Amino acid sequence: MALRAAVLRHLRVPVQFHALARRECQPTPCSGGSLRLFSSHDDHMTKDEVIERVLSVIKCHPKVDPSKVSPDVHFEKDLGLDSLDTVEIVMALEEEFKLEIPDKEADKIDSCNLAIEYVYNHPMAS
Amino acid sequence: MATGILRRVLSRVSASSPSRFVRIRAHASEAEAQQVEQKATASSNLKTFAIYRWNPDSPSKPELQEYKIDLKECGPMVLDALIKIKNEIDPSLTFRRSCREGICGSCAMNIDGCNGLACLTKIPSGDSSTITPLPHMFVIKDLVVDMTNFYNQYKSIEPWLKRKSEPPVPGKEILQSKKDRAKLDGMYECILCACCSTSCPSYWWNPESYLGPAALLHANRWISDSRDEYTKERLEAINDEFKLYRCHTILNCARACPKGLNPGKQIQHIKSLQLLG
Amino acid sequence: MAKLSGLQKQVLSLYRAFLRAARTKSVEDRQQMESIVAAEFRRNAKQIDRKNFIYIEYLLRRGNKQLDQLKSPATVRLSTLDPNPEP
Repeated sequence: MALRAAVLRHLRVPVQFHALARRECQPTPCSGGSLRLFSSHDDHMTKDEVIERVLSVIKCHPKVDPSKVSPDVHFEKDLGLDSLDTVEIVMALEEEFKLEIPDKEADKIDSCNLAIEYVYNHPMAS
Repeated sequence: MATGILRRVLSRVSASSPSRFVRIRAHASEAEAQQVEQKATASSNLKTFAIYRWNPDSPSKPELQEYKIDLKECGPMVLDALIKIKNEIDPSLTFRRSCREGICGSCAMNIDGCNGLACLTKIPSGDSSTITPLPHMFVIKDLVVDMTNFYNQYKSIEPWLKRKSEPPVPGKEILQSKKDRAKLDGMYECILCACCSTSCPSYWWNPESYLGPAALLHANRWISDSRDEYTKERLEAINDEFKLYRCHTILNCARACPKGLNPGKQIQHIKSLQLLG
Repeated sequence: MAKLSGLQKQVLSLYRAFLRAARTKSVEDRQQMESIVAAEFRRNAKQIDRKNFIYIEYLLRRGNKQLDQLKSPATVRLSTLDPNPEP
């Protein structure tokens, strides 16, 4: 019920933070400084670089146990994520690699492997 | 899904009556009305209203809920009955209403299978009546429907005066002869209640792409305006297989219009101008 | 992931669109929007019977309208209020 009246203007009512403290995790440990350095030669990323950055984005998701993440894991079967979590991860990948992934493609990405392949084969990824 | 089926049944009821009875509408006939009055003077005159209910906040299937009211203690119009039900029986019953005299267009709904304004429709004679939202519209709650698409279509025909030249007298209104003004009769009266569009089978099947009788009537209102200088562009903008030409002159629109207008005729006018253009 | 139904795809696409719209706002407001939107989607995903198509479609339409408002540059913040606060 709490969010039933989600109102898209600011109201003078104290906001309830149903905070998934997730986003606080993201800026610092993963997409930040040190990893960016890899992409300094913009044009082509090596597959290893892609793998490393994809994995670090996935590890940053609050529901993911970082020790379980490897390039072969399936989001739902191995990491126990649902489709909403997957959307969040794919959106985070978009930002990490400065991409816009169309819905049709995004719906198909359900494992680390597919994510890595998609990013690696994307001409605009950086 | 139950909504869809229910709506379709109702739609068929309204669609199957021949459109030539345009002027009869849903009102009780004179004789019937007198009968109602006679009964009312007796003791009480109970009538059942079966009203479509759906509340998004307690998600369950839509249903027809029955209310019995004494017509003797109720005004003559369907809106009076609805207000009485809301005031005295069930305050959760939700519907739009404002002017209660057929000028705001808020209380458009489907009454015994015919679209109309609750405030202009007499309570039909007979033991029971069914009131449902406008057919083939998305329901927000009970009798309140989502008009977004309908309003966007109206907006798309640019319903305002468009000029290329300055007004003849700068800073003054642009005058019009009585004869030119008369060309707008039968169109300016439209109150955008959506009774016509939501009674149109073509509109049911192509609500996104076909503009529908209300928007097209307004398109013609600006096309016919002697002061407007974008007639050609307006005609061009709607010269489209779907936007305009999904009208197959079924004329449910004229049958439904609570203001007695004939949108179908205005659409014919646009079509003939397209031929000349 | 099991194969998604058309309705599920629409929901996910709406969720994505909300997260995209939030990106255009300030860092602080964005975080807040994301947590509100995520909580709303999650709560509904949990509570609503997946066969209650009528209600899900209704929420999709409502969500799309709210999305339009959120997209406007004039909208800077998103907040919620509880119609039934605990006493």
